[in-house]
Amino acid sequence: MIDCPEAVRRMWSYLDRSLAEKPISEFEEHLETCVKCCGELEFNRHLRELVATSEGRPPISREVRTRIDRILMVNADGEREARR
Amino acid sequence: MALPRQSAATLPLAEPPPATGLGDQAFADIIRDHLDALHGFCVQLARDRSDGEDLLQETIIRAMRAHPGLREPERFKGWLFAIATNVWRDQLRARGRHVQTASLDELSEDGDGFSLFQTITIEDPFPYSDELHLDFLRLFRDEDVQAAFGAINPTFRLPLILTVVHGFSCKEAAAVLGVPLGTLLSRLHRGRKQLERGLWEYAVAHGLVTATEEP
Repeated sequence: MIDCPEAVRRMWSYLDRSLAEKPISEFEEHLETCVKCCGELEFNRHLRELVATSEGRPPISREVRTRIDRILMVNADGEREARR
Repeated sequence: MALPRQSAATLPLAEPPPATGLGDQAFADIIRDHLDALHGFCVQLARDRSDGEDLLQETIIRAMRAHPGLREPERFKGWLFAIATNVWRDQLRARGRHVQTASLDELSEDGDGFSLFQTITIEDPFPYSDELHLDFLRLFRDEDVQAAFGAINPTFRLPLILTVVHGFSCKEAAAVLGVPLGTLLSRLHRGRKQLERGLWEYAVAHGLVTATEEP
């Protein structure tokens, strides 16, 4: 079974879903017997959510949306012109 | 008038665009589907709303010129994000700046031992708390996190933006940035460590916690 330092090393990769099947099962097996690592995993999960929420998606203004729409429409109009 | 066509092959993309198939109208519709996420990414790259919006516009123009159409919609978002990253790098170069690269110290594994979780445990800023670590995170308002996050070296911040904020898998994020998966994973690790240290130092510097010893 893996020890705590190895479990901590795998923690963020586990949250990033970048661990392979075997390292995942070893990690989860460790969690079943280690309260400290469960707490650290929970903390890292919250930290991840904090960043995702804070950075979030800044709302796009109406003016920018209109500007982008105009660019897209010009190109689509050009396509229709070319087909005639 | 339609935008002049540009071969997708001339774009400095991390990977070739999805195969062609659809016309301009369908292409525009799919860009609209991804517009909010792409706008967010551009603002996060530029760390400035106005610059981010200019970046968004240039990204869309470049995507329209390449005009790949779509056969693999699941790859389209990554392809757009790769264009945005390249446009951002080009804009920095044009302004005489460059993407801030990592120093040798930052790339080294030395000094990598900082753990926010352990530091909070040792410093114990809330002795009577039942949720010591979560209470630490609750100290941070959005602007505090943004300040600490924005201070991370862009080389290491970008993988975090792609995976944590925009939900790309590590493999997809590596493709967006045009780097091997191992490089991406290493940068992610460095970014997390800078984030952990940055949050602690921010909390100390702004009086959110009192440090009793140097972490």
